[in-house]
Amino acid sequence: MSDYHLNRVLYERAREHKMTESIGPDELTDYELTAEERAALASGDLEALFRLGANPYLIRRVFRRRYAL
Amino acid sequence: MATVVAACLTSHAPNMTATPAAAPEQRQRFLAGLAEMRRRLIAARPDLVMMFVNDHVQNFFYDNLPAYCVGVGDKHWAPRGAAGFLKIPERQLPGASAWGKALLADGLEAGFDLAVSHDLEFWDDVSVPAHFLMPEGMLPILPVLTNCVAPPLPTPRRSWALGGFIRRFIDARPGGERVALIATGGISHWIGVPNTGHINPDWDHWVLDTISEGRGEELAGLTWDQIERDGGNGGQEIRNWIAVLAAVPGVKGEVLAYEPVKEWLTGCGAVWLHV
Repeated sequence: MSDYHLNRVLYERAREHKMTESIGPDELTDYELTAEERAALASGDLEALFRLGANPYLIRRVFRRRYAL
Repeated sequence: MATVVAACLTSHAPNMTATPAAAPEQRQRFLAGLAEMRRRLIAARPDLVMMFVNDHVQNFFYDNLPAYCVGVGDKHWAPRGAAGFLKIPERQLPGASAWGKALLADGLEAGFDLAVSHDLEFWDDVSVPAHFLMPEGMLPILPVLTNCVAPPLPTPRRSWALGGFIRRFIDARPGGERVALIATGGISHWIGVPNTGHINPDWDHWVLDTISEGRGEELAGLTWDQIERDGGNGGQEIRNWIAVLAAVPGVKGEVLAYEPVKEWLTGCGAVWLHV
């Protein structure tokens, strides 16, 4: 499976200017994701999201609250 | 014939406006550089501004992702949904539709198959520089977007070629318009990657020195790997600068400001090109 769906999760939230610290399973029923991707979104594991292919600009925008600056 | 009457380069960063109390001394110095850039732009009396910028995955997603795109709309949102976050009022800036459509058509003839959008929403890429440089919002803007954020990216060499073509396009326009070129983005910054917030002033100074000495074409020889290593993923936005440098090849740059602003997560440069 490609990282397309993982990025779609983030893109759709970024488009709506939603900032969050985690994205749980209830919000992800419509997406084709691996267990690893779901776990990274649920825990807000920024490095794991990056490693799994999430676009860094989308990580930054959606999880902005997780950054000090 | 249209003529290029001004050319300049500036970084963009959302925190320039989103966090106005941060880094007050650096902010004051950098904004003084932008104020001088604005003064010179107005003095050049442009009729039209071509802005070389990049999307931040707000207009273009992985379902349809152009390497280069021309915004031909009559108006551009700058900003719209990001207004609250950027602390810049929502507004629409006038477009340059006829010029954009001519650029598309001439591009196809010249071997540049540019994508087209009639409806663009800008974030800090256009909104922040325009807020400081063109607060009145009267000048028509023709945006030329380069994919700098979703690899694989077009090569810097291709951006150099595009900038050269755009200069020939401007020179061949029949109307006598006075055109300003503005590139935004860069210099070094790491965003959303594991070392987010890192800045590399050494690389920034090398970029600025290269431009100051009129050797901008050397930047076109950079590879994605070199930029990613020395300038970070945000440094890939240097493609916007390279396109403008190619449109005014060999001219010397004058650094109006350089501040590596930790709170803006960006090595911020503002450069005037003596066309």
